[in-house]
Amino acid sequence: MTTTIDRSSNEDPTGLANTREISVVADGSPGVAPGSDRGSVSHLAAAPVTTQVRRLTVGAQEPTAFNARSAADVADRPRVIESPRDISSATLDDRLSFWGSMLGSFGLVWVLYYQILPFSGRVGFVICWWFVFLAMYAGVTAMGNPSKVVVDRVVTAMVTSGALMVFLALTSAVLFTFVRGFDALVHVNFFTQDMGGVRPTDPLDKGGILHAVVGSAIEIGIAVIITLPLGIGAAIYMNEFSGPFARAVRTIVEAMTALPSIVAGLFIYTTLIVLLGVQRTGFAAAMAISVMMLPIIARSADVVLRVMPGGLREASLALGASKWQTVRQVVLPTVRSGLATALILGIARGVGETSPVLLTSGASTFMNVNPFNEPMNSLPLFVFASVRSGETLYIARGFGAAAVLLVLVLVLFIFTRFLARQKVGR
Amino acid sequence: MTVLLDSDESTSPVVEQPRTLGPASPTSDKVFHGVTLAIGITVLVIMGAIGVFLGLQSIPTFQRYGWGFFTESQWQPEKDILGISAVLLGTFTIALVALAIAFPLALSTAIFISEFAPTRIRSFLVSMVDLMAAVPSIIWGLWGFFLIQPKAIHIAHWLHTHLGFIPIFQVDTDPDAAIWAQSRYAASAFVAGIAVAMMVLPMAAAVMRQIFSQAPAGEREAALALGSTRWGMVRTVVLPFGRGGIIGGTMLSLGRALGETIAVVLIISPAFDIKFRPLEVGSESVSALIAGRFGEATSNQLKALLTAGFVLFVITLIINTLAAMIVSRSRSGALTD
Amino acid sequence: MTATIDTSFNQSQGHTSGGTLEARQVSAWFGSNKVLEQVSLTMPANTVTALIGPSGCGKSTFLRILNRMHELIGSAQLNGEVLLDGQDIYASGHRITETRKRIGMVFQKPNPFPAMSIADNVTAGLKLTGTKVSRSEREALIERSLSRAGLWKEVKDRLREPGAALSGGQQQRLCIARSLAVEPEVLLMDEPCSALDPTSTRRVEETIHEIREQVTIVIVTHNMQQAARVSQQCAFFLAELGTPGGIVESGATEQIFNDPRDPRTADYVNGRFG
Repeated sequence: MTTTIDRSSNEDPTGLANTREISVVADGSPGVAPGSDRGSVSHLAAAPVTTQVRRLTVGAQEPTAFNARSAADVADRPRVIESPRDISSATLDDRLSFWGSMLGSFGLVWVLYYQILPFSGRVGFVICWWFVFLAMYAGVTAMGNPSKVVVDRVVTAMVTSGALMVFLALTSAVLFTFVRGFDALVHVNFFTQDMGGVRPTDPLDKGGILHAVVGSAIEIGIAVIITLPLGIGAAIYMNEFSGPFARAVRTIVEAMTALPSIVAGLFIYTTLIVLLGVQRTGFAAAMAISVMMLPIIARSADVVLRVMPGGLREASLALGASKWQTVRQVVLPTVRSGLATALILGIARGVGETSPVLLTSGASTFMNVNPFNEPMNSLPLFVFASVRSGETLYIARGFGAAAVLLVLVLVLFIFTRFLARQKVGR
Repeated sequence: MTVLLDSDESTSPVVEQPRTLGPASPTSDKVFHGVTLAIGITVLVIMGAIGVFLGLQSIPTFQRYGWGFFTESQWQPEKDILGISAVLLGTFTIALVALAIAFPLALSTAIFISEFAPTRIRSFLVSMVDLMAAVPSIIWGLWGFFLIQPKAIHIAHWLHTHLGFIPIFQVDTDPDAAIWAQSRYAASAFVAGIAVAMMVLPMAAAVMRQIFSQAPAGEREAALALGSTRWGMVRTVVLPFGRGGIIGGTMLSLGRALGETIAVVLIISPAFDIKFRPLEVGSESVSALIAGRFGEATSNQLKALLTAGFVLFVITLIINTLAAMIVSRSRSGALTD
Repeated sequence: MTATIDTSFNQSQGHTSGGTLEARQVSAWFGSNKVLEQVSLTMPANTVTALIGPSGCGKSTFLRILNRMHELIGSAQLNGEVLLDGQDIYASGHRITETRKRIGMVFQKPNPFPAMSIADNVTAGLKLTGTKVSRSEREALIERSLSRAGLWKEVKDRLREPGAALSGGQQQRLCIARSLAVEPEVLLMDEPCSALDPTSTRRVEETIHEIREQVTIVIVTHNMQQAARVSQQCAFFLAELGTPGGIVESGATEQIFNDPRDPRTADYVNGRFG
């Protein structure tokens, strides 16, 4: 209880003010320090070391050390050139047991797996190697360490390999997309042409994804224009005017973040396209993306604004600022970079999501810049349709488009990191 | 200032009422309030309307098919047989496979980043997890379909061969045949689950890591100062503290996993069987059903699809709400507010 | 209190008294910022050493160096040696967990494990270090540790209650009991009373008096009176503007307070700055 709440300052409030009249309560015998010269500097690598001999004096019979010390001004103290000591606790023994287990288990599993047992396949090999390594590592560690240390080492190895696997999955997904997309990406026409009139057997130097890039940009642009003001406005309302209505808005927004994106697409499909008879257009797709993005944007903006310390807000109000001035000049500038990061991540989500546009935009093969007329294509939809077609060349184009989509998301993401760094600088 | 003491009638008991404070906000604040209120109402109406619309559209379906909508496994519009039991089972199968893979990985990632990683690469790793969350689901779909599936088939075959006596690892084919039927192990809930796991993993890892990092420094130091190993400290201090975050993050990712569409559509081949054999070819999820059937649907079928979507939404909503409650009720949640 | 300590719990060293701790030319950095320079101090066995000085002078850093808590902070580095009974605790091959088990620490803020009962808190150190004890030994240990920390009478009927249910002062004594249960040779205390009320402070000080027989104590305090009351020797730390902290003067407590050699020490102990 108290451990989590108490954040009082480090200073003892009663400490120094009351120390003018000190009565020393000598408790037991005065501390007797076995003072002996400490001159050995064996471990200090740096040459010009002047060692100050500080010893605990017993009584007053040896005043030299301290008198000399106090006479010299601290600023004049000869500067000691020192370098920090390496205190990493891994010993040679630890390192050897790790690498030894690595190699030993590799060899053992290789012999068993490929030579003796009728197994094959690299995935299985790695899995077996991992298990044998853990066992071997535990065994080797147990020879010179208590059981707690063994458990610690083994769990550390397991946790690290788990994290490593996730990292591997991420890099493999990114690299795989680029490698498979390479064939399409090397052609300039891939970025400058659309797929109008391109036959399934046409080679990669014909046709491109310009229409999908433009379509994605238009759709996300419309969605951003709709969702940003609504999302941020709603978030500001929830934070500035607390009350039952604000709570209702927050509840609904949080509930709608659970809306699966495909259902958002189906909703727009049913209302706009089936009931109102609107064509499948970029606008319909933008609406579907908006329905999906609005709760995400409102929620993340709300979370960022809620983190804002209440004290700052009150300080501004106490200076006589109105609520509007407080929001504009204190709240928003304070959370600016955090807000921008959250919003850009929401946008990245909107750009990459396939399911809402799958139902609503249609898939044109040609460039269409009018969101209100004729179908429009977009990057995720193009990827999906190309890969589904099963044609080798289309799959290559699909991977190329996926790589472009990934670059787009990466750029947005790096931009958020840039903003986050600015926050630190401020 | 807030309490007025009436000194005139000091003998009689003082009856006090809070003084009403007059409106003091300047015009700009009134405008500000009006504008944000209007936005709030708009958002509330739009979001509420979607929920209400989905609910209303579901009524005819429920009237027409009754409980049979939940118990029927087939989706055959041409015979007017529509039901989502197999689809719901498939949805949960895929989501559970995804969780079974994502949970240990997310937990180790979170523990590694907050406890074991060198401090100087910690923020890099945190942004890697964020980046992973930003990778579009279609990319994970491609990854799962083209890169993982060929390998996953072998893993599935191995599991079937050696652990086939456990019902969930069964596949309806002979595992020991000289040339075993690879296609029986492809396009399965297992493969789709791997791809979905990668999508939901970063969210779970991020929630867990954030809560782990809030574990009180005092308790961490106390454990270490007693001579605990790092893992001992994590087990006694960090994990009990972060329990709410672990459960909540896992449930949030379950909610996401249930609604994932594209990877599932790309990988599985549709099948409407009541079975829990994730390794076997064929499955179906609600979202994949919608994606596959919306185009050819008549008005009634569209309503049925909307109903299926509504059911999915209600399920994810319940899961998300429970997750949010667990996170905020835990000791760790008290700190974040 | 039990003067004889059952050594069966103690796997590391069969000691019945505290160990001598000696810092040699200890320097410390946070990143490139040097916060301690060439600090040498001997903390003899079974003595209470008080580290005093204004805030930011490096005394807490110094204390944390003594049981390797310093390096928990990412950018932290150090130089020099810390010898426990003549052996460098920073030497390669010295297990860090063993060092911390032998040199316990009590923190400024009471930090019992909230998920554990009072009894489990006392034995947490055994569990964490993998020390096995039988049930009867465990109960005896709980009673002995709580008694040494002066808490037994207050909590003996509620050992199953969570540790967080105690008052702040009781929590701090529970933390002391927890540290004592692993039978450390040295107990470091980082302003253990700064979050406590005067009555609790007095109880903790009494506890310090009583356990001094068995364990060497190093205490950081901002409270001059407390330093004078509990310690036998004192080290005055000071960091003048822009320079790393260091010891200005150290010696017997009586001498530091009554007859300081350095004018700055005199100024500080008489409350003229700080």
